[in-house]
This record gives sequence, structure tokens and C-alpha cells, in this order.
Amino acid sequence: MNTPALKELLYKIADDQLIYGHRNSEWTGFGPLLEEDIAFSSMAQDKVGQSYALYQILNQLGEQEPDTVAFMRNANQFHNCVLVELPNGEYDFSLIRHFLYDTALAIRFTMLVNSSYQPLAELAGKIKGELRYHTLHANTWIKKLGTATEESINRLQRSLDMAMPYALGMFEPSPFERELINEGIFEGEEKLKLQWMPKVEEVIAGTNLQLPDWKIIKPVMGGRSGQHSEHLQPLLDEMSEVFKIDPSAEW
Amino acid sequence: MSVKSLDPRVNRLPGYGASAEIKPKAALDQLGTFEVFVQAKEGKPFQHEGIVHASDIELAFVMAKEAFTRRFQCVSLYTVDTRDVYVSPLTDGNQSAYTLVQQPAPQTTEKEKFEIYHLLKRGKQHVHVGSVEASSPQEAMYLSKEKFSAGKVVFNIWAIRTKAIRFTRDEDKDLWLTLPEKKYRDAADYKAGNKLSEFLAKTKSNS
Repeated sequence: MNTPALKELLYKIADDQLIYGHRNSEWTGFGPLLEEDIAFSSMAQDKVGQSYALYQILNQLGEQEPDTVAFMRNANQFHNCVLVELPNGEYDFSLIRHFLYDTALAIRFTMLVNSSYQPLAELAGKIKGELRYHTLHANTWIKKLGTATEESINRLQRSLDMAMPYALGMFEPSPFERELINEGIFEGEEKLKLQWMPKVEEVIAGTNLQLPDWKIIKPVMGGRSGQHSEHLQPLLDEMSEVFKIDPSAEW
Repeated sequence: MSVKSLDPRVNRLPGYGASAEIKPKAALDQLGTFEVFVQAKEGKPFQHEGIVHASDIELAFVMAKEAFTRRFQCVSLYTVDTRDVYVSPLTDGNQSAYTLVQQPAPQTTEKEKFEIYHLLKRGKQHVHVGSVEASSPQEAMYLSKEKFSAGKVVFNIWAIRTKAIRFTRDEDKDLWLTLPEKKYRDAADYKAGNKLSEFLAKTKSNS
């Protein structure tokens, strides 16, 4: 097994999940409806839980403890895509990001069910129900608000246009694409993107929203190699604030 | 000084002591409600757990999943518009609600399937007991008397047309796969009492 390639893959997914989960948890207590506040918070908690499972696998491969990895790195050591670190903005943007991101994540883990790396294949099988709920939640809201009122459609459209270059940054190729594919660990970012696009098109087709032309969108890359926006470091500072007071504390 | 209430029920009241136009009561300014039923384990009956606000039944299902099944165990849930739940007269246990359900006049309309629920104690939830074919909710309850009420004092009966229910689909059965592992959502799992005792013991021995 090619360990550097595997680690790169695991870090990228784990960091996406941790940062995205933490970002979405900022909605807790501020959701637009009580029920939605609970649902969105629960999903954020699922994401952090999934990142923990991935950091545990990395720990078995010789990386540091999950808490150390999560709380003690600086922004340039994180491999998440820029999409997940962007501020929440208003709820329309958070919903659009949720839809674009979770659609990709669900496909990624469906692909990983067949991974030659057993721990990852097992995790993918285990969390499929959580991911199914996350996409069900996203698709239901997008269909609903994407066909509701002029305001809801305009807001989603603006957020969709704004988010799309960042969304394509999710598929930034890894330096190990060939190794991952050849060893059957993961079928690759390009294949993931090619499955993601028609899925996004399918849901958007059921709304009054317009997809921007794929060909003219310029993806925002760099996140996978630690080049982030100015929004990541403040998020990390806040997330690790309590941990850093007493890293040895038991919870 | 007048204070504007945050309670929609108060804000829907007419103004005090001022002459004004006669107009209809203000419309509900919140989303409608949907009833949520949960099956905790395979083979157990569905039980009413509460309501969610939602704009339609599909969104209600999505909201219900986290509002009512984010802890412990669940294998299935369903939602139904509150307006589709038919309710019998209520008793306080001195007689069965079935004695208050009148025999309906013979009906010619086609029969449909109804799900029937019993409340067996005040303050408890309505629990699913089975289904009957009937032409109306009243007939459904009337027919349920013989089928489901032997030896029971039923405080209240509900009847819901089966077709009005948004059930969990087979492909959604895995939504709760990891739920039993989410112990961090259970306050008891933090064993705060034990931690506090340890902390107090340590503080005492240090002083």
C-alpha cells in the first residue's frame, strides 16, 4: 500500500469534514426554524464525527493523535478545499454549499466502499446512512426553495453562482492520483467530478435555478496544498481555543 | 408604553378598546404542523412522538428525523399532516372512547385503508394498533372497536388514511444505522456526576 498517497487522501477528506462541520456548527442557535436548527446542528456533528474516524485511521498509520492533528496545526497545514472554510454568510449560501459539498461527499464515499484499503471501505459502508440523510436534507431544501418565491430563487441563484468556482476546487487533483487509482484505493478526483456534475444538474433541473456554464467556471484551487483564504486561520483559532487552555484535560 | 409581544397568539388578538373595521382573524403566521410517528425497534408498534412545523410533508419527514430520532434507537418513522388525523371523543378512563363512537349510516363510497391508534393512558402517546378498510374515519373507528379494543379502556382513538402518510422508504432504512453509537448525544454518557465526585475528592485531598 502506498502510504504517502493514502495519507494525502485521508487528510484531505478528514480536513474537509472537520472544517465544514465546525463552520456549519456556527448556525447552532441561529437556524431559520427550530427544526432546521436541530437538523443542521446534527449534521455538523456527524461531519466532525466522520473526521474523527478518519483521523483515527491516520493515527494508526503513524500520524499524531486526532486531537493534536485537529487542534494544533496552522492553516497552511490543512488540506481542506477553500469551499468549506468560507464564512456562512446567509442561509441561502449555507444551503447551496451544503448541497454542492454533500452531493460530492456522498459520491466519494460510495466510490470508497470498493476501496482496496479496508479501513476506509469499512468506514464508507458504515456512514452511508448519515450521508444519505445529508443529501436528502440538502436536495429537499434546494427543490423547495428553488421553486418557491422570487426572493428564494434569486438568493439561491446568487449563492450558486458565487459558490460554483469554489465547488469545483473540491476536485483539485492530488499529486498521487495515478498511485491511488492504480492501487485501487480511490478512483480519482476526475471520475468523482464526472459523477458529481450530472447529479447536481439533475437536482437543479427540478428547480427554477440556472447552472452556470461548466466550461467557463474557473475553479478555486490551492486548498489541498495548504493555500487557503483569510477565513481559515480565524476559524482554527476559535475552534482550538478551549483545547489549548489545557491540552491534557479529559472530557 | 406598549410592548410588542413575541408570541404570535397574542399578536393575532384584536386591538383593545379602539373602533376598527370588522375583518377576518389574521392568518397563521407560521408553517403548518405535521404529526411524527416513530418505530424504535423492528417489531415494535409505531408511536406518536410529537409535531414538527414544515411547509410540506416531505420537508416534515426530513425535519422529524433529527427533531425526534437523534438519540437512542430508531428503525423507521413517518409523518402526516395534522389535518389528516381524525380524533375520537376523549374520555378520562371511566369508559372506553369506543362507546362514544356512533355507528355510521351505511355508506356507498369506496373503502380505503385507515391506520388506527390508541391512547391507553392520559399523558402517554398514541400507539399504532393496526389497520382497517372503511369508507370514512368514523366507520374506521367503529370497525376497530371489535378488532382492537377487547378488554381495553381506550381514552382516545385516532384514524389516519394510510395514503396520507409519508412512510420511510426501503432505501431510507439505513438513515439510523449509526444512531446507537451516538452516545455523545445522551447526557448520561458524560457521567458528569462521577467526574464531579472525583474532582471534589481530589480538591479535598489537596487542601
